[in-house]
Amino acid sequence: MNVIEVRNISKSYGKVKALDDVSFSVGKGEIFGLIGPDGAGKTSMYRILCTLLLPDNGIAKVDGFDTVKQMNEIRRRVGYMPGRFSLYQDLTVQENLEFFATLFGTTIEEGYDSIKAIYSQIERFRDRKAGALSGGMKQKLALSCALVHQPSVLFLDEPTTGVDPVSRKELWEMLLMLKERDITIVASTPYLDEVRCCERVAFLHRGKIQGIDTPERILHQFADIFNPPGLSHAKETEAKEENVIEVSHLVKAFGNFHAVDDISFNVKRGEIFGFLGANGAGKTTAMHMLTGLNQPTSGTGRVAGYDIRTEYEQIKRHIGYMSQKFSLYEDLTVAENIRLFAGIYGMKDAEISRKTDELLERMQFTEHKNTLVASLPLGWKQKLAFSVSIFHEPSVVFLDEPTGGVDPATRRQFWELIYEAAGRGITVFVTTHYMDEAEYCDRISIMVDGKISAIGTPDELKQQFHQPDMDHVFTYLARQATRKSD
Amino acid sequence: MKQFLSFIIKEARHIVRDKRTMLILFVMPVVLMLLFGFAITTDVKNVRTIVVTSQMDHLTQQVVERLSTSEYFIITKSVSTPQEAERLIRHQKADLAIVFAADFASKRSGLQFIVDGADPNMAQQWINYATGVITQASVGTVNTKMLYNPQMKSAYNFVPAIMGMLLMLICAMMTSISIVREKEKGTMEVLLVSPARPLMVIIAKAVPYLVLAFLILITILLMARYVLDVPLAGAIGWIIFVSIIYILLALSLGLLISNIAKTQLVALLLSAMVLLMPVVMLSGMLFPIESMPTILQWVAAIIPPRYFISAMRKLMIMGVGIREVAQEVIILIAMTAFFLTVALAKFNKRLE
Amino acid sequence: MTLKYLIQKEFLQIRRNAFLPRLIIAFPIVIMCVIPWVMSMEVKNIKVDIVDNDRSTLSQQLVHRIEASTYFIFNGQKPTYQSALKEIEEGKADIVLVIPPNYGKNEMLGKDSQVLIAANAVNGTKGSMGAAYLSQIVTSHVQPSMEAIRSGVSTLLLYNKHQNYKLFMIPALFAIVMMLMTGFLPTLNIVGEKEAGTIEQINVTPVSKWSFILAKLIPYWMIALFVITVSLLLAWIVYGITSAGSIGLIYLLAMLLALFFSSFGLIVSNYSDTMQQAIFVMWFFVVCIMLLSGLFTPTRSMPSWAYLTTYINPMHYFIDAIRTVFIRGGGFYDIAHQVFALLGIGLFMGGWAVQSYKKNN
Repeated sequence: MNVIEVRNISKSYGKVKALDDVSFSVGKGEIFGLIGPDGAGKTSMYRILCTLLLPDNGIAKVDGFDTVKQMNEIRRRVGYMPGRFSLYQDLTVQENLEFFATLFGTTIEEGYDSIKAIYSQIERFRDRKAGALSGGMKQKLALSCALVHQPSVLFLDEPTTGVDPVSRKELWEMLLMLKERDITIVASTPYLDEVRCCERVAFLHRGKIQGIDTPERILHQFADIFNPPGLSHAKETEAKEENVIEVSHLVKAFGNFHAVDDISFNVKRGEIFGFLGANGAGKTTAMHMLTGLNQPTSGTGRVAGYDIRTEYEQIKRHIGYMSQKFSLYEDLTVAENIRLFAGIYGMKDAEISRKTDELLERMQFTEHKNTLVASLPLGWKQKLAFSVSIFHEPSVVFLDEPTGGVDPATRRQFWELIYEAAGRGITVFVTTHYMDEAEYCDRISIMVDGKISAIGTPDELKQQFHQPDMDHVFTYLARQATRKSD
Repeated sequence: MKQFLSFIIKEARHIVRDKRTMLILFVMPVVLMLLFGFAITTDVKNVRTIVVTSQMDHLTQQVVERLSTSEYFIITKSVSTPQEAERLIRHQKADLAIVFAADFASKRSGLQFIVDGADPNMAQQWINYATGVITQASVGTVNTKMLYNPQMKSAYNFVPAIMGMLLMLICAMMTSISIVREKEKGTMEVLLVSPARPLMVIIAKAVPYLVLAFLILITILLMARYVLDVPLAGAIGWIIFVSIIYILLALSLGLLISNIAKTQLVALLLSAMVLLMPVVMLSGMLFPIESMPTILQWVAAIIPPRYFISAMRKLMIMGVGIREVAQEVIILIAMTAFFLTVALAKFNKRLE
Repeated sequence: MTLKYLIQKEFLQIRRNAFLPRLIIAFPIVIMCVIPWVMSMEVKNIKVDIVDNDRSTLSQQLVHRIEASTYFIFNGQKPTYQSALKEIEEGKADIVLVIPPNYGKNEMLGKDSQVLIAANAVNGTKGSMGAAYLSQIVTSHVQPSMEAIRSGVSTLLLYNKHQNYKLFMIPALFAIVMMLMTGFLPTLNIVGEKEAGTIEQINVTPVSKWSFILAKLIPYWMIALFVITVSLLLAWIVYGITSAGSIGLIYLLAMLLALFFSSFGLIVSNYSDTMQQAIFVMWFFVVCIMLLSGLFTPTRSMPSWAYLTTYINPMHYFIDAIRTVFIRGGGFYDIAHQVFALLGIGLFMGGWAVQSYKKNN
């Protein structure tokens, strides 16, 4: 028996067709992947299935109930985690979880087993306000809140954006356990390893289903989108010996809690430095100190030759920064955003407009020059934000999870931009949870519990820890973390 | 029931965690009551007065004495020519000049007031008061009795108005923002898809604000009674009954705004500018409705606080029974029913 | 130089907002066209009940005089004081005049007979003004000599010769419109960027605190300029009221007030975490500043502790000065000390706004 039946669903917003004659079905206890690039119509599909949106045409049934007429029956049976699941920032971790548990008619104790794998990692922060958690930890809490009850159908819209690889594995182990209990799961994800965990996947592109099949076949069939050829990075033979970032014994403490606990490392000019670590390991805090957003508690650091403690305003002149959260002005157009940030760095009008045209042409983006940023797809926004952050030719650019939630093809384009920048001599300091991206870096460090537990080129690390690839290196190191369990 | 409770607890936490807003919510009524009770008054007092006289005879002396001992006037200067007085007023050194004619003593008349007429009301009152003091208006023939407010305190008039404004502000503005915030942040999606009924979500949202409004109501009433000495002449039960109807009305308005507004900014501006301005201006709290042009009186007729304030003035200050305010109460109930129905009917159980 | 780009950005953002441009244009128009009609503090249309227990010629004459008065609305004669009181309770009447029995006879004999005036004093101003007028009519009715004394008094009104209440209130409306437009909009600005997360991106750029804050302030000064122009024009077109003094001085005062309120809004915004918090805090301060400024009520009637606060209340300086210029036609010399006080407070707040914006924690 099919738990989900979708027949010829269409949905338009004004002139934009979000879904165009979509049909598929999902059997009981199946893990079904709904994948596709950003803006493909996935979220609209979820919303229709959850009775939040009315389709223009077609019929959708969940657990035998019609989404249009039997709204209440469906709402009693499904669980939904929206893509931008937002917690109550002013409630603590425990209060959030408690609230959602009660909302779904259960308790933390009853649901504990089904969220243990993830919740145990944030449980020690249970009295901290959700707003004070790091991005990845928020996502874990959101997952816990969504999974604390056991609905008969579970909809997960990109649940692992911003979550580190180890936790992602744990999440999927949990989902497999739910499957054992005959819970039907529909999930979407930009990670290929997660796609492979599904039994069947539907590939949605521009509002149309392009194919429904096993993951391997779909990934093979649409290899140009999902599995772009790896990048080859011609390493400059003469690595310049000049250090652009020098950090020694850097500490940032919030009360008794040492978010960053005595780290030291150097980054050389023109290098692509991957700054890896599990959620809550202290990556963002460290980056905030290097970019002059935060003062260190102790230790010293120099960026582009300036002291991070006293000369942070000079540092800001020589760096670019792109944060976790997309942070261009959504209500300005592409050209206006570029103009603003270029102007802030003191470029002249004529230079700005010449370089803007050049840039847009290079990115094949000229036709969107006067488009509002808010209406661009996520992948484009990220590429744009990166281009803006290096527009003034800084000596270092800091990228905080720049590719979160972006599909493989776009990520690959993004990394081409990074290589281009590095080729021009810009040092790139990047955090990421994609281990294929880690392999693209010249050198990486892995942070665990506020300390750097490994540093070196990807090959060196693989050898040092006797692991086949970066994914395993990361998992090996991150599993040694003690912060989660104490 | 457990769901409902946990909802209320969550909502209450949002309110309590925001310390600054909480502080303002409770400091605001206290400060407003103190200001209106003690600081803001339209009484004639401390008017800077100049006496213009060429010869200070006995009678003039007496009159001037009387003026300066009254609390209304401060004699700042005595000059000899009206021109000099006028110059002083023009330079903002005085508000009023009283010119005594040279033969004032013999004829007992021949007075001129030179007055800064920028504020016509006050100017008129200064003249009235000054004439009263000078002529020693005989009290013999008229016995004036100030009903309900023998000491003529403006607080009597303002306390019901402050209640009307604050309850509207808290209930309508805060409820609408708290709902719109959930829409904006995306948590509303999860709440809607949960097994909780939308109606329950809405009622649970309203309850903490109802309690908060009630606490503030009690604060205002206690302050009115014990700090401002405003008598609560009417039955306290009815006062609270009518206030609760009004609170419900304000909550429904807040709900209505939350249906219309998509972002917090719009909800804020809608409730601050579109809701609060008419409430302050047209409800009769500051400006008497009967002095407005007819069109505006019609507009004022659909402003809910108008009926609440009028009912409260009668119940609290005049101490009449509920029957005398039946009309206001019925209108309030009808409005509540109307707004609540519209708000609930328009409440989106889906997105869009 | 970077200032130019930052200011452009602010303007673009205001323009792109679906709500703000309409608000900025519609708000002053609505306020200027509607509120002057509302704000008349004039006491009008007082409804009088008369209980005539005498029914003599003299008492009938008194009733006729009241009926004929334009100030009162004669509500009718009532048989007893109780029935008249009932009308007050129901809100049908505001004042009761009770003429005692033998009123006419006693007055003939030269004996005092007390007329009772009972006024609903819940609204103190209305009650007392009504009672005062009514007792004037009564006294002059029986004591023509009093009338004579009164008629011997002449009054010279300096300024506002037509006793136009609108002329008095229009400068106050300028203040209110300026306050709402240049106070509340910046309050929502920085905290809005905090909630959107864009402030972080700005904080890692080398932009200086001064130019960032200045870029936020200048658009609101432009808006202030626009708003005060619209208000002045509307006062002239709708009410035929123009400034007695120099327009330049009015613009100067308006800009100084805008300097204060926009800085104040940004300060509140800098210290707030959410828009809701910001707007509540701002609202609280604005209400206090407004009530204690003398916008509606004379400051000199306030008790001394409250009067002391007017020394640091910029709104008080503004309203004093603008009334001097607009109504009384004063020149710069007349308002010099207010101008300097406003400038001082404005600069202090501007400095504080820059100081309170933190680029680095």
